[in-house]
Amino acid sequence: MRPPLVGQRVPRVNDHGPLHGTGRYVDDIELPDMVHAAIVRSPVAHGQLTSFDAGVQGAGVTVLGPDQLRSHIRGDLPVLWTLGDQQQHATPVVDEHLRYVGQPVGVVIADSCYLAEDAIEAVELGIDELDPVVGLAEATAADSPLLYPELGSNVLATFEAGDTEAHTDAVFAGADRVFHTTLRIGRVHGLAIEARGIVAVPEPRGKLTIYTSTQTPHAVRDSVCEVLGLAQSAVRVIAPDVGGGFGLKDHIYEDEVMVAIAALERGRPVKWIEDRFESLLATTHARDEMHEVDVAVDDDGTLKGLRVRARRNVGARLAVFGGGPLFTALGVAPGPYRWEAVQCVGQLVATNTMSTGAYRGFGQTQAAFIRERAVDLVAAELGHDPVELRARNMIAPDELPYQMRTMIQFDNGDYEAALRRASALISEGPPPPDDGRARGVGYCSYVQMAGIGPSTLNELIGLSIGGFESATVRVEPDGSVRVATGVSPHGQGLETTIPQLVADELGVDLETIELIHGDTDTTPYSAYGTAASRSLAVGGGATVVATQRLADKIKTVAAEMLEASAADIELSDDRAKVVGTDVGVTIGEVARRAWQGFRLPEGTEPGLVASYSYDPLSATFSYATHACRVAVDTGTGEVRVEDYVVVHDCGKIVNPTIVEGQIHGGVAQGLGAALMEEVFYDDQGQPLSSTMLDYHVPASASMPDIRIEHMEIPSPFTPGGMKGMGEGGTNGAYAAVVNAVCAALPGVDWTELTTPLSPSRIWEAFHGQS
Amino acid sequence: MNERAVRLTVNGTDRDVIVEPRVLLSDTLRHQLGLTGTHVGCEQGACGACTVIIDGRAQRSCLVLTVQASDTSIETIEGVASDGVDHVVQVAMHEQHGLQCGFCTPGIVMSLVAAHRAGIDGATAKHEVLDGHLCRCTGYVNIRAAIDAAWEAAGGGR
Repeated sequence: MRPPLVGQRVPRVNDHGPLHGTGRYVDDIELPDMVHAAIVRSPVAHGQLTSFDAGVQGAGVTVLGPDQLRSHIRGDLPVLWTLGDQQQHATPVVDEHLRYVGQPVGVVIADSCYLAEDAIEAVELGIDELDPVVGLAEATAADSPLLYPELGSNVLATFEAGDTEAHTDAVFAGADRVFHTTLRIGRVHGLAIEARGIVAVPEPRGKLTIYTSTQTPHAVRDSVCEVLGLAQSAVRVIAPDVGGGFGLKDHIYEDEVMVAIAALERGRPVKWIEDRFESLLATTHARDEMHEVDVAVDDDGTLKGLRVRARRNVGARLAVFGGGPLFTALGVAPGPYRWEAVQCVGQLVATNTMSTGAYRGFGQTQAAFIRERAVDLVAAELGHDPVELRARNMIAPDELPYQMRTMIQFDNGDYEAALRRASALISEGPPPPDDGRARGVGYCSYVQMAGIGPSTLNELIGLSIGGFESATVRVEPDGSVRVATGVSPHGQGLETTIPQLVADELGVDLETIELIHGDTDTTPYSAYGTAASRSLAVGGGATVVATQRLADKIKTVAAEMLEASAADIELSDDRAKVVGTDVGVTIGEVARRAWQGFRLPEGTEPGLVASYSYDPLSATFSYATHACRVAVDTGTGEVRVEDYVVVHDCGKIVNPTIVEGQIHGGVAQGLGAALMEEVFYDDQGQPLSSTMLDYHVPASASMPDIRIEHMEIPSPFTPGGMKGMGEGGTNGAYAAVVNAVCAALPGVDWTELTTPLSPSRIWEAFHGQS
Repeated sequence: MNERAVRLTVNGTDRDVIVEPRVLLSDTLRHQLGLTGTHVGCEQGACGACTVIIDGRAQRSCLVLTVQASDTSIETIEGVASDGVDHVVQVAMHEQHGLQCGFCTPGIVMSLVAAHRAGIDGATAKHEVLDGHLCRCTGYVNIRAAIDAAWEAAGGGR
């Protein structure tokens, strides 16, 4: 009997395509009669479009401006989350009120993408320019230009989390000391290496097939149908191979809808592939927040109160998940510590910039950052060791489950063990060379809410989609297995890990199992697709239960074939056999019998397929401590991250290699946001970071090797025990790297801090203050 | 339309194409010759996803006009494995989990294959060659592990 595959370092099953050129990403799709689209975009940050002139165009060119587009449009794009006094619940696909550079206003179709881009040159836009507003502070000033004059303010929503003002005031008044810090979190871009893209194909009888680089095919379908007034049964959305998502590809964009309209208008397949310039302008940005943080603390280092007043620059309009990232940040801001009071207020502020939306961490990266930065400031001011101060305040294992003051309840774990081990590991690292650089060690301890639903909770917090996932597991008549899942992998390795779960439940070889995903016609409905660290926790949980149900049926049919009791049948080595004997039948023999429908036990349905929709009882809570050592060249402000350790618990680990890969990539994105990644606009709202030479993401030289240790405390809720971990690396790294830089330069007053800590910012902080 | 006839030798086969002078080699390979394994990440020369081997040297095909590549020998990801046998770099990238979404992977493989053939040492491959590529999924850690494994496997491949 082979050992279980869950927990093993099984090599990924889907590497062959990219390694041999046989992958199939959206731009690889070629169809007969296909034409190519280019998007006409606003060149100004704020203005009113007064005219759209297609200009003189060559043969074979079609130009669709606002009026032609609008003739196909029956609805708006949804904002799925409503918070506080928010009034914006949907946004139009076409809008003559131009609110950011890059806003799509029309689409051009031609025989090649070269010709389509040529054709755009002839389009003339008449624009009455308006004064733009770019920054958070300016947008909330009394005399600011308004993006939505009808709302009377650029503040689109205000919402709260945690304790009352009165309770918090009392706790602060009773504490020995209060510290304040102002943290400005820079605007970043998720920057998947594959930009967005879509191929829209009109089908007979008014149907539409869409291939698109998305994390969430079902949600794309729902939005397309809402906007175009089509039945959901008439639209098929397929996610082919997808070259990274990170939250950017969690919905359909206005320009993609325009391409679908172009396909319907021309009656031919239309392809549009976003170029990098467009991507940096008009694919959702993220963060851009200002946090005012107060911490009340006793002199012995006991944390008492946390108060956060946060504003997020949401750009020109709310993205599909609205203020969800800031709301989530405030919800998990307390982290792994006991507090007597936590009070948070969040505001969403509109400006003439691209929308900020979901990005790996979905606010939890910022939550870890503001808390862990504040905790380090407290430790430095009081003269406490930052590890000991954290340990002193951590929720102990026997206090779990523990309800935070923001009402979120943690499940299980040992937070201090992760902290202590990370501290030991970073101390054991190689001694730094004596090269004159300033060195510091930084920590970040976080607890991440992963594996969300339950659905009832989503409804309670203003989110208009449920929190469940579904799976259908089917043994074909020859014994091969297909698993259809609503989650939609694009690098996470679910093509390997979900079959690992199934292989163990059915006792079959991994090679016989195929994961079906990314196609609304062949997979169960999923509102999220793959996002929010929930694919294996929730999607995997659904798969485990569906497979257990199927295993029960296999045993029932096999028992009849073997004249035994189902309770005495075990599944292993591709066989169903009587426990303790060699008497058995192959899974294929059982499957053939089941699909023939011959001589099945009384009450047993023919066929061999089982489905399950898993609505979690609770979210899951992964946690970790990250620790790193940096070297800072005070002459140039350059930072090198020299050593990096992660001690984490994501519950049951299905494949350690894949978990480690997810952590590595997450750390790179957190490190990038800490040190180099920043989207810039000038004061007129013109983008200044519109190439990958201006928007810096980490290259290999910036990335240290990472020492990872797994703790493995299974979730008490999830079938299979997984807690989810796709975002943890990012959540920990951002704060740990910033804290290490601050620790390396203790003479600098870091109470006001802006990220990324670019070389120029570090140089100015060091030379301006010491 | 001022088109030119260009002969390219691609993965050992002569291919004649008619192109406008402005057409990028990456587009010709992908959309005229159907070799979609070469990916385009930025068309700005920054990410390296489109890297192919031209006359033995790894180059970004988004920065080369097809007409500039006239009469050259070009190797793409589709041509790296020979007779069904993978190059040690391909083997190592798989075994060390050196790819996730796979979009940057072909370019990285082409650069590493060219470096491996040219006898460049593993440390240089890790610290200089790989630095010419951007990957957003892996944090590079396992790609460096793959480079170590591929270079250690000297004699095990081509």
